[in-house]
Amino acid sequence: MTATLTKPPSDIPTEPENPRRGRTKGAFLHWVATHALGLALGLMFATPVVFVFLTAVMPDDQAFTSDLWPREWHWENFVEVFDQAPLFRYLVNSLTYSLLATGGMLLSSIPAAYALAKLRWRGRNLAFLLVIGAMMLPPQVVAVPLYDTWSSLGLTGTLWPLIVPYFLFDAFSIFLLRQFMLTIPQSYVDAARVDGCSEFQAMVRIVVPMAKPGIAATALFCFLFTWNDYFGPLLYTGEVKDQWTLSLALATFKGMHIVQWNSSMAVTFLTMVPAVVLFVFAQKSFVKGITFTGVKG
Amino acid sequence: MRKHTRAALLCVTAALTLTACAAGKGGGSTSEAAAAPGQDDKLTLTVWSNFSDREYGEVTKALKTFNQKFPNIEIKHEGSQDDDKITAGIRSGNTPDVALSFTTDNIGQFCSSGAFQPLKAYIDRDKVDMDQINPAVREYTEYKGNRCAMPMLTDVYAMYYNEDMLAAAGITAPPKTMDELYDAAVKATKRAPNGDIEVAGYLPTMGFYANRPTILAPYFDAAWETADGKSALATSPGWTEMMTFQKKLVDFYGHDALERFRAGLGQEYSADHAFHQGKIAIMVDGEYRTAFLKAQAPQVRFRTAPFPTLKADQYGTAFTTGTIMGIPKGAKNPGAAWELIKHLSFDTDTIVGLANAIKNVPSTKAALESPKLEVDEAFKTFVDLARSDKLKGNPVTPIGDAHIKAVTDFSVSYQSGQVPDLAAGLKGVDQNIDDQIAKSGK
Amino acid sequence: MTTTLGARPAPGRGRARARHRLTVLAFTAPAVLGFVLFFGYPLVATVVFSFTRYDLINPPELTGLANYEFMFKDPLLVKAITNTLWFVVVLTLARTAFALGVASVIARLKSGVGLIRTLCYLPSLAPPVAATLVFFMVLRPNGGPVDSFLGWFGVDSPLWFSDPAWAKPGITAIMLWISGDLMIIILAAILDVPQEQYEAAELDGAGPVRRWWHVTLPTISPVLLFGVVNSVILALQLFTQAVVAGSAGSGAADATGSTKYLGFPDNSTLTFPVYLYAQGFRYFDMGYAAAMATLLFVISFGVTILLVQRMRKNSSAEEGGPGA
Repeated sequence: MTATLTKPPSDIPTEPENPRRGRTKGAFLHWVATHALGLALGLMFATPVVFVFLTAVMPDDQAFTSDLWPREWHWENFVEVFDQAPLFRYLVNSLTYSLLATGGMLLSSIPAAYALAKLRWRGRNLAFLLVIGAMMLPPQVVAVPLYDTWSSLGLTGTLWPLIVPYFLFDAFSIFLLRQFMLTIPQSYVDAARVDGCSEFQAMVRIVVPMAKPGIAATALFCFLFTWNDYFGPLLYTGEVKDQWTLSLALATFKGMHIVQWNSSMAVTFLTMVPAVVLFVFAQKSFVKGITFTGVKG
Repeated sequence: MRKHTRAALLCVTAALTLTACAAGKGGGSTSEAAAAPGQDDKLTLTVWSNFSDREYGEVTKALKTFNQKFPNIEIKHEGSQDDDKITAGIRSGNTPDVALSFTTDNIGQFCSSGAFQPLKAYIDRDKVDMDQINPAVREYTEYKGNRCAMPMLTDVYAMYYNEDMLAAAGITAPPKTMDELYDAAVKATKRAPNGDIEVAGYLPTMGFYANRPTILAPYFDAAWETADGKSALATSPGWTEMMTFQKKLVDFYGHDALERFRAGLGQEYSADHAFHQGKIAIMVDGEYRTAFLKAQAPQVRFRTAPFPTLKADQYGTAFTTGTIMGIPKGAKNPGAAWELIKHLSFDTDTIVGLANAIKNVPSTKAALESPKLEVDEAFKTFVDLARSDKLKGNPVTPIGDAHIKAVTDFSVSYQSGQVPDLAAGLKGVDQNIDDQIAKSGK
Repeated sequence: MTTTLGARPAPGRGRARARHRLTVLAFTAPAVLGFVLFFGYPLVATVVFSFTRYDLINPPELTGLANYEFMFKDPLLVKAITNTLWFVVVLTLARTAFALGVASVIARLKSGVGLIRTLCYLPSLAPPVAATLVFFMVLRPNGGPVDSFLGWFGVDSPLWFSDPAWAKPGITAIMLWISGDLMIIILAAILDVPQEQYEAAELDGAGPVRRWWHVTLPTISPVLLFGVVNSVILALQLFTQAVVAGSAGSGAADATGSTKYLGFPDNSTLTFPVYLYAQGFRYFDMGYAAAMATLLFVISFGVTILLVQRMRKNSSAEEGGPGA
């Protein structure tokens, strides 16, 4: 997991009270300066993507020149890349990996997080430490024996070695869900127990509905992490092209299928779209999730 | 209780470790030849190669000629699979029936590890006459007497030069020695007023296009191994000569200017190739470039000649390598795979047809002499070199291409001026290569 | 945060206790199995493999300490460790400082906060492969946007991913561009600083800079420490950006992690994980790769301990004592 801890942000934090509103000329200049700086920062973060977009719609012979603005707008470049490479195949693979992994993660991680947050048992602290340890472990450390095992099972060359673990254990998700569940007052769970609910019922009826935003955030991060994953697919499907994910295919694109820069940039742009769409629809969850990994950790 | 859990954990992990280690690995490749497929067996042969685009199409066509003998066998050809992918495929069990490797860099590793199955049993059974193949080519398809691959055509390396650019620089005859090459490179180089390189006479950068140590070694008479099988970079004077020659040219261009120029050049197998674009005047490359030039840059007037050598009396030496074919361990249809390999290695019509299509040099004597082989002026240089006995092949080691990478890396640092003592540096690389071979245990 | 008074049954009620144990087991069984299979076993097996020679074709052979001995003779390993250390130092400092800087600016904005925060955060969601290609395009030394921009000032653009001296800074630039997540965490911490503290400082006559230095920084220091540890881990794991930048920079035709282009230019992007990958899954020297993995494990374990200690301190402070 490359981005282990930093994946998720807090409730998009609200602006602080402003006690100094409308004061002196100095304050006004200060306002102008900070906002100019802020605007510059925003632009700095946005321009690379703008350039990519502009290059993507350029005609073939213009893309590798020093022009910044397209001579003509070739919107069809975004469609043509689907003919130049089996993008749909890669898209299906990426979706398979991301959706199955996210689903499996929810099945396995919610009960585990519940046990860590809401049940008392000996060894719980140790278990939590192990979860953190697993979360911090560079994936390369365990890659050798895992690859060996998966290859003796005949499953290398498929995405299963990447998907299956999510059905059992995903450290980051367990960690994040536990953090969310800790914020749910224990009294709700206790009340459910008093009412005769089993722990399973307490989890499903009380904690899961209350932790919905947290679960949504965890699912989002899991989806994005698998969508963006490069090491895993490279390791297990590098030589089997019809199993490639978009991320993996993208890395090979420039040479293999597409020599033109505009097409290469069109695909680059397309792979970034899902993240943006997810963010637009679930901004709150994202931000909440991120702060939970850092601040409340 | 805590103790117990921990103990249990350990037990499980230990048990898993043992089973994983013991799990039916090994098995090894059988030394027996698998039977050829019957005329009625319906089966599919998967072939992996690193060909792409135009060449991929032509090779697929050649593969299909196999159907004249075995119409019942369907051939699935997967292109753009480099050696790394072949190696990974064999390890992970996603094996093709026939693997075509572009370079011979990894032959030692393929044979010694058993990644490619030994072919001796097949050759003996079918009484194949290996003498039909040029000795240098035979050498690069086996390792320590274990033949695990067969050649599919061969590549010979020589000099390409842009006739117009050399003429404009006042050079009438192609350079024959390294000193003449240096002069020609200097004369043909053009610079912008600010010192930027516009046209480079000859690019010395190691690792760039075909500037690989394996390819250049024969022209400098540089040997890879000493008689007792140790790495010979420091002891064979050719390496020092090669490094010095390249460094002299790098210094002429200026390292930074050269890097800036090089960063703007197109990819080796694209139409943006610097030679196609008239940005370099002289280069070393394989015979296949003639086809690329014809297809992608017909406007370039070029000629070919043997690549210059360090010593005048060695002129006419050439590096040879080529596509090799093997049956990977775990191939599903080894018997049929062998038939395909035999077809591609020895069927004269197929070889000549493919050689004409992708402009490679045929690998058998019969095909080389075939009247159907199309030989134009540029291609003739290569055919003549192939007929000579001065071809030199690849060094074959069990460490894949790690030794080649070590030399390339060293050369890159040396060219950038980071190595103060060349002799000591080469010794260090020798040590490194010997260490790696020792580690491989082969 | 409320104290977690769990459902621990009163002592003496043996049956309830057994049931409780069963419940815990049921909830955690998949995770325990997964942990054992995907972390416990491979960790042990990695150490075992590190004493063998294993090419995944022939059965493993015990070679004792040979792999560890080779580490001392391997110039590429030195290179890989040096590169990774470079990232651990430079990337960590740059990323934390950059995220802090951007967050501090955003925290002071009065309008347009939402838009600017979104703009700064979005790149961190992009696939790392895409982010790397984006920068490869933007930093392209022959006519890319940055090159053109520098050209207006008569400055030659560095060769970035083609120059051993600039490839790592280039990758660092990518990492800064996608550091939006850390930025949001720091921003949240800054906005959590109690307003009274600022007001008190203001009464003492502290200007904005001094308030930032004397109030903001000390208050958010635990989050900054988190940023540092997190960046160190990121630097230790740096793989994708290095592989993609290397292959894109080399202009290679077939580029997915091919040994020929790993580390391009001049092994300057050969990070420790990249080299481990090359040894294990390109040269298939699994034994040596396992030895390197063991080394990486020891190092990242140390970093993890550091983080865990900090978290423990925090959580005990937050929960008012050892709650669980």
